[in-house]
Amino acid sequence: MIQGSSTFIHVGQIHVDTSPSAISTVLGSCVAVCLYDTKLGMGGMNHYLLPFWNGNGLQSPKFGNISIPKLIEAMMMRGSLPKTLVAKVFGGASINIGNSANTMMIGEKNILVAKEILKDYKISIVAEDIGGQNGRKIQFNLERGKVQMKYIARSDIGEGN
Amino acid sequence: MEVIIDHKALECDITHSEIEFLSRKILDLNKQLIDSEKAKSRFLSLVANSLINPISVLLSMIPHLDPKNDVRSAKIYDTVYEQALVLDFRIQNLLAAAEIENGQVDISYALIDPTELVNEAIKSLKYAILEKNIQINIHNTIEQKVVSDPKKLYLIIRNLLDNGCFYGIENGIIDVSIEEKEAKLLVSVKNQGEGPKVEHKPQIFTRFAYGPEGYHGLGIGLSIVRDLCELMDGTIDYEADTSSVTFTMTLPLETNLSNSEAYGSNEFLFESFDDAIEL
Repeated sequence: MIQGSSTFIHVGQIHVDTSPSAISTVLGSCVAVCLYDTKLGMGGMNHYLLPFWNGNGLQSPKFGNISIPKLIEAMMMRGSLPKTLVAKVFGGASINIGNSANTMMIGEKNILVAKEILKDYKISIVAEDIGGQNGRKIQFNLERGKVQMKYIARSDIGEGN
Repeated sequence: MEVIIDHKALECDITHSEIEFLSRKILDLNKQLIDSEKAKSRFLSLVANSLINPISVLLSMIPHLDPKNDVRSAKIYDTVYEQALVLDFRIQNLLAAAEIENGQVDISYALIDPTELVNEAIKSLKYAILEKNIQINIHNTIEQKVVSDPKKLYLIIRNLLDNGCFYGIENGIIDVSIEEKEAKLLVSVKNQGEGPKVEHKPQIFTRFAYGPEGYHGLGIGLSIVRDLCELMDGTIDYEADTSSVTFTMTLPLETNLSNSEAYGSNEFLFESFDDAIEL
């Protein structure tokens, strides 16, 4: 049970909050990176749809390689250091909608981009539940830095999650 | 049979490692791209910010110089005022482009009357409208005020109107219609004249792209329109036939000012995570 408020984030959003709040989202082939600062009791979560921004249009946080550095920056602006941060990664399922998402392996690329960028920043991944074929509901509890996760049926995943 | 299965597994493995390799490569190239874009954004932001103050001062002072009865001075006055307005418009666009590229755009909602925004935009484009003797008709079917970001909506409308004036024919008509459809605000600007060809569609909304039918302004107006619409979860598109072109933007209408932030949270407040996995 969370004591504070819970903020739900959608695709392309980044949210940073402090204990005892919680941040939650629903994921299909999208990925959410949860960062927790063990010293400050502060955490942040993003939710991105695609791995790479291709240079066209906005550098939108719906792309992993834009969203993850932005999340890390947002945490650092509030006093975190990469060495006090730990990461948890969720999502990246192969959701077989019309098979197109699967053949492009969006989920797997989304996971890969998270791992590579976190490695670059030297932030260790302390927990993950990635891949597979099920969507996920997650709630990031900032009081303890724990993520509660439930698998969900495909029909419950909205488009673009 | 076993051999075939092994082959398949092997193929799958190779595809996987290939995709991993290529994805890493894309990530690397993307980093370089982001870095070079950053340098460009910084420059853009510096230029726009250093220009905005002088032009604001000029624009606020020029109306006081109106010579009224002196015909010769009035001509000079009009030219100066017109060029200052053009300059201001371009700087506003540069500033918006810099903000968009920096990712600094915050959406702030307020109650607005779309017709007022259109009239404001017409005022700032008065010389261009006079020069071509364009008639502008506004059809607004929304009776109440709507909730949206006034600054951004104004910039969108001003750019669409500017585009309509530039490509519209002399002595022509521009129809601006404002309506609500399925909880969305629709604003369309229709000008008479030949529209851009369908095959040029990708370029029309791309920043700094040379227009296929000539070059007008900085080539950022419509890209700003697209980016601002996208930022507010809206869309922009156009339709053209032989005699006219219509740009239509849609924006989701915010119905509740104060509770909009908390809206999504309710979905999870009463959700039980009792039997969830904890990681």
